[in-house]
Amino acid sequence: MRNLATRVIFQTLNDKRSVALILIAPLLILTLVYFLLGDSDYVPVVAVDENVPSQLLEAFEAETLDVRLDAVANPFDYLADHKDVDAVFEVTQAGTTITLREPSTKSSKAVREIQAALSILNPTPDVEMNYVFGEEGQSTFDSFGYVFLSLFSFFFVFILSAMALVKERSGGTLERLLMTPIKRGQIILGYTLGYGVFAVVQSILIVLYTVYVLGLSSLGNIGWVMLTMLLMAGTAVLFGATISVFARSELQVVQMIPFTIVPQVFFSGLIPLDLIPYGLGNLSYIMPIFYGATAIKEVMVYGNGFTGVWPYFLGLVIYASVLYFLNMRALGKYRGH
Amino acid sequence: MDIHIHDVTKSFGKQIAIDRVSFTIHSGEICCLLGPSGSGKTTLIRLMIGALKADEGTVQLGETFMPNMKMLQTIGFMPQNDGLYDDLSAEANLEFFGSIYKLGKTKLQARITDVLALVELTDDRKKLVRHFSGGMKKRLSLAIAILHQPDFLFLDEPTVGIDPLLRRQIWGQFQAIRATGTTIIVSTHVMDEVQECDRAALIYNGRLIAYDTIPHLLGQTDNGRVEELFLIAGRAGGTSHA
Repeated sequence: MRNLATRVIFQTLNDKRSVALILIAPLLILTLVYFLLGDSDYVPVVAVDENVPSQLLEAFEAETLDVRLDAVANPFDYLADHKDVDAVFEVTQAGTTITLREPSTKSSKAVREIQAALSILNPTPDVEMNYVFGEEGQSTFDSFGYVFLSLFSFFFVFILSAMALVKERSGGTLERLLMTPIKRGQIILGYTLGYGVFAVVQSILIVLYTVYVLGLSSLGNIGWVMLTMLLMAGTAVLFGATISVFARSELQVVQMIPFTIVPQVFFSGLIPLDLIPYGLGNLSYIMPIFYGATAIKEVMVYGNGFTGVWPYFLGLVIYASVLYFLNMRALGKYRGH
Repeated sequence: MDIHIHDVTKSFGKQIAIDRVSFTIHSGEICCLLGPSGSGKTTLIRLMIGALKADEGTVQLGETFMPNMKMLQTIGFMPQNDGLYDDLSAEANLEFFGSIYKLGKTKLQARITDVLALVELTDDRKKLVRHFSGGMKKRLSLAIAILHQPDFLFLDEPTVGIDPLLRRQIWGQFQAIRATGTTIIVSTHVMDEVQECDRAALIYNGRLIAYDTIPHLLGQTDNGRVEELFLIAGRAGGTSHA
């Protein structure tokens, strides 16, 4: 087993792209996610009709809005002619109207700022909002960053392991290996151990980078996060090995990603499972990324330790055991068993 | 140790790959499994090494019925598509496979030196396999197969895709290995290669159409060419007469 793990390590080290895939790609994509989902300094552009009272105009200008005073005959035509404007605000005899270009994050931000301006004129009872975990106004990255930790620790190791094992099957090395006295379990564990070494480095790198460079806060001990990612990577090796049984080439592994990985992204916790209709949220229990993401959430968002993560660890261990068993069966076919 | 194949049948779904084949490969000989592509040569090799289990009949390596894990220590196998790790050097490939046979560090290094010399790759031992030519890969694949000094060496189409000069060189290496007492089973569809073997088993549509020494086989033809035996079998529908 150790000799196979050593071979996997050296083989991977000799392929610089694989090293980059497992160590650099997650950091690169996390950085992109940070910028895409992090705090935005976008200032919505709102066209305000000339007939709007000056007091209201001053309230608008006090908010984070780019206000354009203009003669608006028809807000639909106005928005069609002015592509840079997000919303049109009018006060007519019929009442107050806000016309928006389309439902979007930009529109939501424009509406929030307009409502803030209006509330100054019509004070409403002051409502204080409190959150048990997290805080009001935190960015999407702060809210969902933990999901990506689980996703990346699984996805990149999965790709590497599935590709490597497909290559082993198509290149004849697996056939040759199984014609030696090596035990089937040693092959599977050797692979898991070999990639496990990279997974250790990967999890330490990703967690430290996310917490200390990108500033994702963690209420709990990040050691538990690293351990979760390590378990995820181990499961990913076995998941990749299982998928490789059904693929004849590296291309076929890629073709299976929409069926095996993409659904897991949606069931990982990005969308609250209670909101998924027809009880489909229960499908998450057959998806390893869910277990990883939820365990990491328990630590980073809820500040829990072993008491919070153990059910999900157990889920991953059971998942990995089932995959181990399936791989043993698949390898048995090479030996006439 | 002889190899006894007794009334072996193997099917994949409805397709019969090997149909009631019986013959004995004698210890220390080079036995050629000769037949056109898809005739069942690879299946027969896989049955002999224990990668497949016969639906009916038995395969014995010496006294041991196959498949048997313990016999893998005595088997050397060279798959059709080389079975090498491209991202490792020739030496690392040998070290890895050698470590599985638990040869011990000193013996393994000595064997690596010996086999690399035999296949004439000593100067390329540190090179990554992905930089090897097709012929070099074949020779390294052979070196791995004989590293642990097996009693039985199974070579599945070892000379496919290599030029005649290199083919001659590789057959020279097979003869050198045979001289050490190893029984060699080679599958091939190149009819000329039969001349290099002690005996040949002619496989056609999963059936054994002839098995004999080369002079005896060629004696059954009018023109001394082994192809004629396949043409006769084709006309007769490929009957088995082991």
